[in-house]
Amino acid sequence: MTERRYDGMTACITVSVLVALSVLPSFRLSAQHVSLGPQIAFGDYKEVSSNLHYRGTGIAAKATLTWKKLSADVLLSKLKYKPSSDATVTNEFDASEVDLRLRYYITGPISGELGFIRRKADPEFEAQSVGAVTAGARMAYLLGPGVRMALSGGLLFGSKFSGGGSTGALGALHLGLGISVDALRGRVQVTGDYGFQRFSRETDDGSGAVPAPIQQSVGRVGFAITF
Amino acid sequence: MRRSTWLLVAPSLLLPLALPAQTVQNATLRRARQAFDNLDYRQALTAGQASLRERLTGFERARAYELLGFTYSGMDSILKAVDAFKQVVLIEPERELDPNRTSPKALSAFQVALTQILVVRQLRVDSVQFIGGQGAVGIRYTVTQPSRVVTRITGGSIAGMRIDSTVANGQVNLRWPARLPSGDPVPAGNYNVVVEATVGQNNFSASQAIRLEHGRVDTLPHLTSLPGYTYLPETEVPPKSWKPMGLALVYTGVALAGTSALSNGDLGSTSLREGGAIGAGIVVAGFIMTLRKPAPQPARGNILYNQLLREQIARRNTEIAQENTRRRQQVALSVVPISRAGVGR
Repeated sequence: MTERRYDGMTACITVSVLVALSVLPSFRLSAQHVSLGPQIAFGDYKEVSSNLHYRGTGIAAKATLTWKKLSADVLLSKLKYKPSSDATVTNEFDASEVDLRLRYYITGPISGELGFIRRKADPEFEAQSVGAVTAGARMAYLLGPGVRMALSGGLLFGSKFSGGGSTGALGALHLGLGISVDALRGRVQVTGDYGFQRFSRETDDGSGAVPAPIQQSVGRVGFAITF
Repeated sequence: MRRSTWLLVAPSLLLPLALPAQTVQNATLRRARQAFDNLDYRQALTAGQASLRERLTGFERARAYELLGFTYSGMDSILKAVDAFKQVVLIEPERELDPNRTSPKALSAFQVALTQILVVRQLRVDSVQFIGGQGAVGIRYTVTQPSRVVTRITGGSIAGMRIDSTVANGQVNLRWPARLPSGDPVPAGNYNVVVEATVGQNNFSASQAIRLEHGRVDTLPHLTSLPGYTYLPETEVPPKSWKPMGLALVYTGVALAGTSALSNGDLGSTSLREGGAIGAGIVVAGFIMTLRKPAPQPARGNILYNQLLREQIARRNTEIAQENTRRRQQVALSVVPISRAGVGR
């Protein structure tokens, strides 16, 4: 019950941020950059063993706010995972994820990141719902006029799972790769993102620690309108 | 030279008697000139002296004495020639004899006459324009005897302002700054430059009318560029390189290798489908960016150069603005002589 309320609050805050960003008049945003747009997502999800292997597609929305040295990414996605051909399971599930990253430019191409992720599986017992705080770094490079790519990585701290279990200090991590290409004189961006998460989760039912890892790879392609 | 030769040459040398502008109306004087032209010096002398007893204009009187001077010179009566020329100079202090057309005897007598009387000749005031306090009016005159010479400005709102006092002989050059004793520029108007020479009981004065006008001092235009210096482009296009392609490969490689390395072995083979798709897009973008013309990069040297140039122009314009402010408070003085020098005694 508490977890459901937490999910609702997170979604509410995220939607509020997105709506506020989208309705702000452009002259108020003269000192900042905002981009907002939909994406098509496709992913690969594995849990516990290679038998629990899912692949799925879905939709996502990504918003980015940049102000001086600070920037923030908000990502909402929903994928419908279906058992892959090599899996032994038959049930599919939906994975709804919220990913919020706050970023501060440090030097050169380097920025520091801090945020959280929250992924919820529906039906609840088909896969693990998970929440964690992210901390890491991001390297960005301007490939050419209007073409930017970025590589990010970091750790996932304080992981919580709906089915219980825990991860070590370095047991959960994420990796990301992204590109954005300006179009229509910078009013529109074509975006592509890749995100990899691995949780070296362990459960203990009284007979000792049992590995129950979770791993997800998601690719997203879409566009964003910039303000 | 024999006397007969002198008699032949003399009339041509004495031709400067023929003066332009005014003409001689007096019949006696005309008869005297006719006799002189015919080398009849005795008749010229008699008629010339007779004309002086008649009513003559100043011009005619000067011509009569001049004729006597030439006649006496021709008759080798130098002292009398000098006396006659002295009368000429007293009547017409500016009178000059053309050395190319006058006999040496007459010229010599004329020069001796000049040294024996006190006159101020050839008073000239330069036509000049200058900024008040930064220039001066040139005044020149010649005084024929050593004397105390006082130069004054009269007229307008000035009641005789002395601008120079000196003991002089010969040519004198003065520079008058056209300022009042208070330092202010002399007000616009018509004035007279009066030069008064005094020696003993003798004195002579000459004057020159001038017109003094006030005007505004020209201001300087502001600069938009410095001559010989042009702005340089602040961006420059770097040469093409494979760096975008290389970095795209590195970033993609790191992401895919990281995915592969960080995957949990218990979960079977790693899925590189998602990372590969996005990575392929990045590699393609990197390849296109490698082929494209690189984006202009800021040229730091040129930016600093332009900044220095802008600062120089701004500094110069500040100086010009200050100079213009000062010039707007100044007066341009224009001094123009109105007519030829007048004479007084």
